[in-house]
Amino acid sequence: MAAASWVCLLLPLASAIAITLAGTAIPRRIAGYVSTATTMGAFVAAIVAFADMAGKGASHRGTATTSWTWLSAGPYHFGLTLLTDQLSIVMMLIVTGVGSLIVAYSVGYMDGEDEERRFFAYMSLFVFSMLLLVQGGNLLLLLAGWGMVGLSSYLLIGYYQERESAIKAAKKAFVMNAFGDATMALALFLLVQHTGRLDYAGVFAASPHGGAVANLIALGLLGGALAKSAQIPLHTWLPDAMEGPTPVSALIHAATMVTAGVYLIVRCHPLFENAYVIEDLAAGLGAATLLMAGLIALVQTDIKRVIAYSTMSQIGYMFVGAGLGAYPNAMFHLMTHAFFKALLFLAAGIAIHAVVGEQDIRKLAGVGKLMPFTKWVFLVGSLALVGIFPFAGFFSKDAIIASALDHGWYGDVIYVACLAGAFLTGVYAFRLFFIVFTGEPSAFAREHFHSHHGQEGPISMLWTVGTLGVLSVVGGLLQFAPIWHLLSTWLDPVDAPTAEATTVQEWITSGLTIVIGLAGIAVAWAIYGAKRIKVPRSLPLFEKKFYWDELYDLIWYRTGDLIARGLYALVEAPLIGGSITAVTGIVGLGSRELSVAQNGLVRSYALALAGGLAILTVVFLAVR
Amino acid sequence: MHGPDIQWYVVLSALLFATGALGVMLRRNPLIILLSVEIMLNSANLLLIAMSRLHGGEDGQIFAISVMAVAASEVVVGLGLIVAMGRRNIELDVDKLRTLRG
Amino acid sequence: MLTTALIAIPVLGALLIAVAPLSSYWLGSLAALISLVEVGVWITAAARFDFSSSALQMGQRASWFSDLQVSWHVGQYRFSLWFVGMTVVVMAACTIYGWWIGRDRARAYFALMLLLTGAIVGVFTAQDLLLFYAFFEAMLIPLYILIGVWGGSDRMKATITFVVYTVVGSLLMLAAIIVFGLQQGTFDMTRMGTSSSQWLFLGFVVAFAIKSPLFPLHGWLPVTYRESPAEVSAVLSGIVGKAGLYGLLRIAIPFFPQPVHDWRIVMLVLGSVSLVYGSLLAFRAPDFRGVVMYSSLAQAGLIVLGLFASNSLGFDGAVLQIVNHALVSSSLFLLAGMVERRTGTRGEFSLLGGMARGRPALATVIMTVGVISLAVPLSTSFAGEFLILAGVFQQGWIWAVIGAGAMVLAAMYMLRAISAVLHQDVGPAVSESALDLRLGELAIVVPLVLCLIGLSAWPNLISGRASSSVPSGFTKYAP
Repeated sequence: MAAASWVCLLLPLASAIAITLAGTAIPRRIAGYVSTATTMGAFVAAIVAFADMAGKGASHRGTATTSWTWLSAGPYHFGLTLLTDQLSIVMMLIVTGVGSLIVAYSVGYMDGEDEERRFFAYMSLFVFSMLLLVQGGNLLLLLAGWGMVGLSSYLLIGYYQERESAIKAAKKAFVMNAFGDATMALALFLLVQHTGRLDYAGVFAASPHGGAVANLIALGLLGGALAKSAQIPLHTWLPDAMEGPTPVSALIHAATMVTAGVYLIVRCHPLFENAYVIEDLAAGLGAATLLMAGLIALVQTDIKRVIAYSTMSQIGYMFVGAGLGAYPNAMFHLMTHAFFKALLFLAAGIAIHAVVGEQDIRKLAGVGKLMPFTKWVFLVGSLALVGIFPFAGFFSKDAIIASALDHGWYGDVIYVACLAGAFLTGVYAFRLFFIVFTGEPSAFAREHFHSHHGQEGPISMLWTVGTLGVLSVVGGLLQFAPIWHLLSTWLDPVDAPTAEATTVQEWITSGLTIVIGLAGIAVAWAIYGAKRIKVPRSLPLFEKKFYWDELYDLIWYRTGDLIARGLYALVEAPLIGGSITAVTGIVGLGSRELSVAQNGLVRSYALALAGGLAILTVVFLAVR
Repeated sequence: MHGPDIQWYVVLSALLFATGALGVMLRRNPLIILLSVEIMLNSANLLLIAMSRLHGGEDGQIFAISVMAVAASEVVVGLGLIVAMGRRNIELDVDKLRTLRG
Repeated sequence: MLTTALIAIPVLGALLIAVAPLSSYWLGSLAALISLVEVGVWITAAARFDFSSSALQMGQRASWFSDLQVSWHVGQYRFSLWFVGMTVVVMAACTIYGWWIGRDRARAYFALMLLLTGAIVGVFTAQDLLLFYAFFEAMLIPLYILIGVWGGSDRMKATITFVVYTVVGSLLMLAAIIVFGLQQGTFDMTRMGTSSSQWLFLGFVVAFAIKSPLFPLHGWLPVTYRESPAEVSAVLSGIVGKAGLYGLLRIAIPFFPQPVHDWRIVMLVLGSVSLVYGSLLAFRAPDFRGVVMYSSLAQAGLIVLGLFASNSLGFDGAVLQIVNHALVSSSLFLLAGMVERRTGTRGEFSLLGGMARGRPALATVIMTVGVISLAVPLSTSFAGEFLILAGVFQQGWIWAVIGAGAMVLAAMYMLRAISAVLHQDVGPAVSESALDLRLGELAIVVPLVLCLIGLSAWPNLISGRASSSVPSGFTKYAP
């Protein structure tokens, strides 16, 4: 079993290295096949590990294997440890499962790109990094995986290297995540100082309960989670990250990497439970994000950006769940979200691919008529997103919302926010669906639509999307909060929830969310489908995304640039550069003056010597 | 101990040194200057040996021999330069050789 | 014996090159061969090294002048072995680079490069203060000539600035060494006791701070790094600067526990100012070398933070980070040289861009080294920074917060440099004739990159208990 986890982790890395080293020696398609095969191999390994684990008793399922001591100093030792337990196996299955579908999809999507190999090397690197993140057996490896996914995300967002906006977006994503890494690192320093170790079990046992230190530790970790999961206030990189190819958006910026923040909270829940203020803060920020992202998504015109904001909003739900203590529910939503969000992105990708890379929904309008398959799978994804019975989102989202009722007045406020968010979800999801996939195709869509040998896209794109469509329908059946709890039972030994709704609350919430979601869909239908109501004027506040970008530009970039310029002008140039010029100037002047004495006459030198000797003699005699 | 007192040696050495120094300062021919330098060195040697004899140690004699060796090498270089100058028809006058002035 | 051989081989090689009747090409080949033999000898030494022992190993002592207790005493501790290793590897890469691009006046050039190798190895292995000083100064002479003869258009200014700064530091150090040695009655570092003299400590620290360099003594850095030949900049920033940091960790810290305790706040402030100041200036630097050199200043500051953290975390992290940065910064300077050569520029960002397209090897190598240099987690420089900051955190949270902030700044300036060279629109100086990295160039940088990747898989190779092998108890006054 330990071997299976190692295989799972190392296969994608081997693939990334092999593709990079092979370079142009292999055809472009082969790179895609290698990447797909290894990711699927990792998936198989994860299943093997899972099967092995399922055969054991609930309390013996977690195993940690250390290959070697990665880093040590004095009395501190941090091993290269893989921890395979109930939580990480769930993440491994999601990452490799959804990952292999998306990589397989990319074989068709990226066909014809002249740097396809680089793309697949990066994708494999990402899968490795993400697996390292979820399999790492201590916080240092978690942080390592954390940074590595940031790196692969940077590489993939900036995949179109000539496009300035892509490079800018990539740098923005990396720097913002570096900020999160830094706060996480600070939390780790605190842990090292107070517990002397970083392995999960040891840290959870020894970390302080309550007090400023516990709060700071949790806050530092939360900073990392917020940055990675694009939650307020570190969220502005995610919409820009849509500059990357669509499969990247699906894999990294929807299904796996951005949910790492949720994984972090769930994994480190004892640390957060020691600092309940921070836990509440996480839930509050999640609720704020889900509302804000929902509002912004209402007015976006780029199909991928709308889905990106919806991702932000859905992760907001997960943060609410994780922050309130409903860990299994958050993990459940993480899983279903991976299915239906990947589905939405990939379906959008088929449409974009068919219409020469156009992403503006006004130009894509009505393209659904030309591609019925895509239209239906997109509808499935949207229904799952809104949470309509029996699609996946229904089961997972309701459970989170219901658990908010188990948290006093604070929970009630969040409960209301979540319901409002559910309404917004219905509106923006179906605004997108009605504009892009219903009605008559726009002139642009008609003109530029080209089918792929009579199909809507390459076969590798269609079957993967179909599979995700099926998963989005049946994936939710894993758990239905009022009645059966497969996932919760599985996770219970590592993540016992601290907030659970009663069965009555579950039923009421389920009913409410369906009604509210349907209401949202109805509004969207009235405005964008049937066009009964005039499209409302959009608020500049939403269009400018609540002015976060402008704020950060002012605070960070401009200020930093100003300080750097100021330091150069006031310190580096005059003091450091100037001082040396002054010194050389003085030395030069002195030597020019003194060189007069060097007249080249040997006899005068001799005279000077003799004179000096005479003076010295007199001085010595006199002093004596 | 036989022979003259130490004072005689010191005085002779001082006279030799002064002769050499004057020669270096007054003459312009490099050959003569080299000669004068040798006289100065030998005055020092004389003093070293005299003192060595006075104190009964052999350090001074060892030094004197080292000085002779150094002086010999120096003469080789110096004479070589002078011969080279003569071959190139450069006037043997140190006052005219002022290329290295500042 | 092996230690002496490590010093003697390049020095004798330099003499051989100075007299061998060969053409420039063969002189270069001979120098490359000697530098590779040196690497081989080091590998032999590492293979025979007993890593479980913290004592001085492969030592050799021969009395030099006994009245002052000065001796030829060389040997290696567990950490100095790695310093020697990074020296021989980087020097080999730089010497071969000089051969690859065909430096003119080959005889002098290669003799000096090998002489430099010997001198630096001597600095890292000398166990006698006067011998240390001799090697420390011996580094200067080849550098002076290498910059002055093969440098860029403003090389005279660079040379003078460099020499004035370092000589000032050296004189202070010489005075400190003489007084300290006479006080102790020996110059043998393995037999010396500690001293509590503030003045001696400051004499050493100023000399080492100039060499490292640390703010505000880095005045020689901009002009020297820009005007030197690329491979000499690589040596300067990768290895010679490390000699200053080595001096701090081998001399200033172990022998002066009380002054270290009294001055540690000042040193920590200097370190963090260097770190932030260097990072900010790197962010606005207009050329590739500018970014790399100011990031060297920042890294020196970071390493000083680790050294003066006064605990094993910081100390081990600093040792690891010294090796990391030697490899990273020399690779970056060599890459800068390669980019400059094939574009005919001096690395100005305004003239570069879009080099990734059609040049996969160049792009991959620059990207790999770049992300390791900005300490992306899982890289060995991340491991080093993590230990340093975790260590200095225990001195006070503020230092670690500054350090963590600088990690973000590092991401900003390094990504800016990477995209300015590789991405976006093709720059005016980048033409089709600017080829991808050739096989020869790959053979030079890839070994360095492989060292970095290997260390990333197992940074513990170096960080494991370096602190325990420092001879005097440096933790004596730790809070």
